[in-house]
Amino acid sequence: MPDLDALKAEAKRLLDEGVVEMIIGFKAGDTPLHPQPAFFKTVEEIDRLVYNALCQNNLATYLTRFPKTQKIGMLVRGCENRSVNALVIEGQHPRDGLYLIGVPCEGIIDWRKIIEKTGEEVISVFEQSDNTVLVEAKSGYFTLEKDTLLHESCARCIHPNPISADIVIGELLPEGDPTLAREQVAAFADLSLQERHAWFRQEAERCIRCYACREACPMCYCEECFVDHVSPRWTESGTTPAGMQGWHIVRAFHQTGRCTSCGACERACPMDIKMTYLTEKLNQDMRQKYNFEAGMDTKTPPPFSTITLDDKSRFIV
Amino acid sequence: MNLILKKDDLNHQLNAWRQDYEVYAPQSLQNYTHFLPLQDGFELAFDVKAHNTRIPPKALFLPTSEALLKFTRFGGYEQIPSETSPRLIFGIRPCDAHAMTMLDTVFEQERYTDPHWQARRDATLLVGLGCHEPCQTGFCTTVGSGPFNHAGLDAILTDLGDIFLVETLTEKGEGLFSQLETATEEQSAQASVLQQAAAASMPIAFETEGLKEKLDQNFDNPYWEEISRSCLSCGVCTFLCPTCFCFDIVDEAQRGERVRNWDTCMFRTYSLEASGHNPRPSRVERTRQRLSHKYTYWVDQINQIGCTGCGRCVRYCPVGLDIRAMLRKAHQLPSEVAHV
Repeated sequence: MPDLDALKAEAKRLLDEGVVEMIIGFKAGDTPLHPQPAFFKTVEEIDRLVYNALCQNNLATYLTRFPKTQKIGMLVRGCENRSVNALVIEGQHPRDGLYLIGVPCEGIIDWRKIIEKTGEEVISVFEQSDNTVLVEAKSGYFTLEKDTLLHESCARCIHPNPISADIVIGELLPEGDPTLAREQVAAFADLSLQERHAWFRQEAERCIRCYACREACPMCYCEECFVDHVSPRWTESGTTPAGMQGWHIVRAFHQTGRCTSCGACERACPMDIKMTYLTEKLNQDMRQKYNFEAGMDTKTPPPFSTITLDDKSRFIV
Repeated sequence: MNLILKKDDLNHQLNAWRQDYEVYAPQSLQNYTHFLPLQDGFELAFDVKAHNTRIPPKALFLPTSEALLKFTRFGGYEQIPSETSPRLIFGIRPCDAHAMTMLDTVFEQERYTDPHWQARRDATLLVGLGCHEPCQTGFCTTVGSGPFNHAGLDAILTDLGDIFLVETLTEKGEGLFSQLETATEEQSAQASVLQQAAAASMPIAFETEGLKEKLDQNFDNPYWEEISRSCLSCGVCTFLCPTCFCFDIVDEAQRGERVRNWDTCMFRTYSLEASGHNPRPSRVERTRQRLSHKYTYWVDQINQIGCTGCGRCVRYCPVGLDIRAMLRKAHQLPSEVAHV
């Protein structure tokens, strides 16, 4: 858990000294399971800053809403820092217009895993120092192991530390084990073609096309998404199998070399649809074939965004 | 009339109905519950833990996507007939049933009646299950509904432990339960106490008196920017809302079908005009539309708030936005501003 007082002190300093005009962080939500993204503009407002394992959004998704000339401070965990880097590479905000307050991340709790154990009527959630979470629910008190509540993306996280923050608050954590992410991809790849298709179909068919996954994703910032284009229409509209599968496949492919495995798409989904098994496969291909991970610096563009004169595929140039 | 349905006899009763109806009831699907048709060996999921289904039952009347007509490239089209097979929805919560009556005012207007909606409504009976332990995110009593509201239902059940007390509310509802024994006065009184206690246990989430006026008078207030700042502009709150009904009509030329899909005022494309102009260009205007439609425009049109307080938008908002908090804040807005 980060030292909240130290975070607040740094945030206040940045606003007070005019280093940034605004800080993107979290504030307490109106319901106990959902802290809300918040935009702090004054030193006084910082008193409302909260930061805990229930802060489930990738704050980098808000970055593209603000003018590139604005000086923005942002609280970043490992994945958010990489998302910011990826956005900087894509020209969405200059790096020197940002001040990143890094927090080594022990993983985000998937609130769905809490209510699975406690029922939906949760009154309060309290993270304890012994890596457990005390939940007060209408059905009683529960002490739950935090590790069992982590979102899958966090359970297999490789880079929990902010890698290029301007300041890091808290002790750096050991890097995650990349074999975990590989195992997940391998388990899916081991299935037969029919089984993989059945899995994909079963996940996609629950989609209601609310696009919460798109909006929660920092890398989905297109002014016009391919599904919204009407002339010509690129995909089927609506919730037909072709429409839903088309959306999920193309959404994933657009993330090739850009996804930072934050899992915000899955956490935003109101239908609990699994999506990261697709992007993780692409991430692994990027690692294996191009030795590339998205957002590890602010210099190296994703392999699929570059064209060189000696490209092996002659049709490009 | 009040009747008694023993819980031990429930499955038998449901199976009996299956002879005459396609019976839909909440069943588990992944981690949530969903109204699905009962199959042999079904398992119900409507304990207190589950409360409302993730998708409101409006989807059984206005599907996420449906083809309205088929056409060919060389002219000519054929309307797709409305479904009319008899259906029974069992275990619908009062907020969701109440919402159906509001949607009727949209789809069954005198001049413009939607044949698909009407056919499905006419062919479907609604048997409700009251909420003796109301959910925390729900605020039905605040907006003129309640955990045992009768609106839209043919019968409503109250959970009394080993038995359900059944109150039949329509003739059709009476027909469904004609085999049951009558409840004793004691049992009816017990249910009544429980129902009142449930309603009384729910705090008033926000004041509705004067709310419409506040929102009307502050159309251009920075309030809208403030409450929509972290909004993602996704469709979760509206798609999971039992009273939201907006749709878009698309010609799927490749397969020759005119399709109606759910749409939402929270999408950028919803109000985008062919010229490229968008009267609701940002989240600010879209959030204002969502709240104003429910809390002012609908009040103007049918004299009812267009929200039944089911709480889904609160529970599933990916950024934790809470309509109750937004409306509490609305009361701090200035009243009538003098226009010069």
